Amino acid sequence: MHRFIRFSILLMGLFAASSSYSADAALEPLTTADDLGPAIEQPIEFPHNRHAGLRNPNDPSNSDPLKGGMEINCMYCHTYARRGSVAGIPPLQKCIGCHQNIESVRETPRIKKLFEYWEAKKPVPWKKVHDLPDFVRFNHERHIKRFVFQQNRPVQEVCGACHGDVKTMTVARRQKSLAMGWCVSCHEKDHVVAAAGGMPVGSQAYWYSFKKPALNGAGVAVAKGPNDCSSCHY
Amino acid sequence: MIDNNFDRRDFLKVLGWGGAAVALSGCGNTSVEDGKETVVSYVEVAEYVAPGISVYFNSTCAQCDAGCSISGRVREGRVLKLEGNPDSVINRGKMCGLGQAGVQHHYNPDRVREPLLRSGDKGEAITWDKAYTLIAEKLNGVSGDQIDFLTGSISGHTKALLGNYLESLSSKNHFVYEAVSPAVQRAANMKSYGMEMPRFSINKAKVVLSFGADFLGAWVSPVHFSQQYAEFRKGVDGKRGVLVQVESKMTLTGANADRWLAVRPGTEGILAMGIINALGVAGLSMPSNVQEAAKPYDKERVSKDTGVTTESIVKLAAILKERTPSLVLLGSAAEGYAHGSQNAAAINLLNQVLGNVGKTLEASAAVPFPQIAPTMGNTAALRMVNNRLADGQTKVLFTYATNPVFTSPAELKFKENMAKANFRVAFAHYLDETALQADLVLPLDSALEDWGTLVAEYQPEGVQISVQQPLMEKLHPETRGMGDILLALIKQRQPDAYKSFDDYYAYLRTAMLKNKSEFANSGMDDDVFWNGVLSSGIINVGGNLNKLNSKPDSSIKLPAPAEQDAKYPFTLIPSVTANLRDGRHANQPWLQESPDPLTTIVWDSWVEIHPKKAAELGIVEGDIIAVESKNGAINAQAYLFPGIHPDAVSIPLGRGHEAMGRYAKGYGVNPFQILDRVFDEETGELAMHETKVKLSKVGKRVIVVKDEGFAGGAQHGKKIAMTKSSDQVDLSEEV
Repeated sequence: MHRFIRFSILLMGLFAASSSYSADAALEPLTTADDLGPAIEQPIEFPHNRHAGLRNPNDPSNSDPLKGGMEINCMYCHTYARRGSVAGIPPLQKCIGCHQNIESVRETPRIKKLFEYWEAKKPVPWKKVHDLPDFVRFNHERHIKRFVFQQNRPVQEVCGACHGDVKTMTVARRQKSLAMGWCVSCHEKDHVVAAAGGMPVGSQAYWYSFKKPALNGAGVAVAKGPNDCSSCHY
Repeated sequence: MIDNNFDRRDFLKVLGWGGAAVALSGCGNTSVEDGKETVVSYVEVAEYVAPGISVYFNSTCAQCDAGCSISGRVREGRVLKLEGNPDSVINRGKMCGLGQAGVQHHYNPDRVREPLLRSGDKGEAITWDKAYTLIAEKLNGVSGDQIDFLTGSISGHTKALLGNYLESLSSKNHFVYEAVSPAVQRAANMKSYGMEMPRFSINKAKVVLSFGADFLGAWVSPVHFSQQYAEFRKGVDGKRGVLVQVESKMTLTGANADRWLAVRPGTEGILAMGIINALGVAGLSMPSNVQEAAKPYDKERVSKDTGVTTESIVKLAAILKERTPSLVLLGSAAEGYAHGSQNAAAINLLNQVLGNVGKTLEASAAVPFPQIAPTMGNTAALRMVNNRLADGQTKVLFTYATNPVFTSPAELKFKENMAKANFRVAFAHYLDETALQADLVLPLDSALEDWGTLVAEYQPEGVQISVQQPLMEKLHPETRGMGDILLALIKQRQPDAYKSFDDYYAYLRTAMLKNKSEFANSGMDDDVFWNGVLSSGIINVGGNLNKLNSKPDSSIKLPAPAEQDAKYPFTLIPSVTANLRDGRHANQPWLQESPDPLTTIVWDSWVEIHPKKAAELGIVEGDIIAVESKNGAINAQAYLFPGIHPDAVSIPLGRGHEAMGRYAKGYGVNPFQILDRVFDEETGELAMHETKVKLSKVGKRVIVVKDEGFAGGAQHGKKIAMTKSSDQVDLSEEV
């Protein structure tokens, strides 16, 4: 009898724990406004809109910062995105490289702060906006190569697929959930990969949703997306 | 009443489900640290640096003196992993486990971070200026012959600079000490072949007979020999090379041998002479004086003395005669006796009789610059310093790259004698046992932060000068490179001669450029040359070959095998393992935790005992055994091991530190401490295998922490391989 009571008490604890799971499960569907990350205070409020935003057609010289951007390519500053797994924050010398020649904004508070860092030779302590857990590996290079260089899609559209419409933001803010299910939502739809002989690469019997892949006309199983857990997970 | 003891099974069930639920609910929140973690960008950065992309720089491994060139993977300014440099003729792109652990030397949390001055029992942090001033003060009024430098093996420009510094102090007292070194062999080779370290071509031999040379583990240049060994096993003539290992305690090389012969400790020379005798009987022609010298060593007598069967001797002679060229190697197991030099001479004589000299044993190249040529250490140097300290002849003692307080036998009383010097300076990476006795400890850059050059003693092709360069910025701002410290010290004495060198880097670059014509086209632009050197990490110099001067010496006097001491019936073999060697790297946890190749034991010392002897003494695995010599006792766990002669027990060297940081201190025991004070009669080297011990059970038993199951235990009834005792193997069938 006592044993039964003790077991029930423990089980109640289990329900309490599992309820947190069901609460999350109710957050479906993916990619909603709820995926918006927290607003983050940065040491310098970097205006993405001013740098990457669209030009003002009425003011081709862009003399008024409130009226348009300069359409700078994302990869001009985030230059590592096409070369390595991380996009990287540009080195301070890149900011200064342009700004030492832009007298018009030299005395604005943000630029003054920027030069303070530069003169002290101290890096700006930016806060991370997009942070994946340490067991997840996301490779920028592969995505940029495929969509920008092979498919010739506009850079802002490609970057924006995950990072949102950065050209309209000042300080960037996370727009998508970046959860595995969200990654899969694209990969299942657009990234159909036939594994050799119908079997997943590396013989890892893993498919998204834990479902066996459908057979194609020739009766060969077609897997979608990266088949191997280790493509994304360490 | 509900008592508080949950049923364990219920608890685990619920815990398991609860854990799963928490894990599942965690899946939704991936961006774990948005806005919390800082992402620091570079201020200014070289063009080739990109976050997430590794860059490789070539440098030199400083974990031992083999001079392997390495390629370090550096990412975001941090060195992460070391690989072998494929262009190096020494290691040809490979590396050993000891070398891999080099990153743990660099990142070790127990490194000394600022100069420390003794104040009572403690070290007080002081500035470098103060340290240098103090050294100048203490050297003031001390004559040159009262200043001693005790270092480990040394080569390259550090050696040149140290030589200049000693000269400026008018001191000739540079003692080069290595606790584990083939010093007896060097002397014997000099006599037999006219050079200390000839080139051994294992890959050209059809049979290798090794007297305790652990060339796959820790002998001379193991990475190089491992590659030669691979070729040797493929065979020169399409037939797999045969390796026979003769030793009293099985080494890694012994475990790889086709045939392992357990020889009674100290009788290696007798066996070598016995083989010469058997070769003569088999009809191999040899000089009459050699034949005469080998005459007393007939197979029955040799078998009786060494414990090797007469069949084995005859077979060994037969295979050596049939398959030429062969190669006979000589390792620490044969050297470590009072008659070590005679053992070595007998083994070298066997090589000469077999006609291997000039075929598998060839002339090595001489380093064309004597001031950077390696000076290799030995134990005779320790004895000299120790005597000088004991007599009060040494007033100021400098120690560098050596830890004599740990590696000298307690009976030498080095620690007590060291206290007699007025001022002791230790150049150190860690507070090891010797640094703890110093008055002033000067913290060194790690090998991955420092500049330097290393010239290895064993040179397989020409002469390779290995260049060491920093793989990353210093971790601790107040450490200095050895070269920089020497330069600062020498500037105290000769400011004018060295004022043009701001730092050791400038000295090194200038010294290299001065000899540009030796290394490259003399018309080459300085920067192009220097950048080429740094990018390749090595400089190859032809070097003239030493003259191979083979002199068969038949005047060998081998003592009869020692009578068993009734009080101390066992010979102690302090074994040199590939991981820990003399213990200077015991604070690198990878080396402590990688299982010993033969016993799979980790993080502790053990006493190897032959199972038969153990049965006689009633010892089982895990019994704590007191191993007692005339000079002290150490306690360690017993490990029953069939790969040891029944008259011997073995304890690995390297563990048993009383200092040197959290990963070294307190793990295992230190057999150096109980070694008897016996020296090789000719060279004066410490005879490491001459210590006699007795065993007694302490009355405690532990579980031996190791990877394997019970030694010699049943494999759960499964027959994995057919076993055949070594006597049943017909060696001629294998040929």
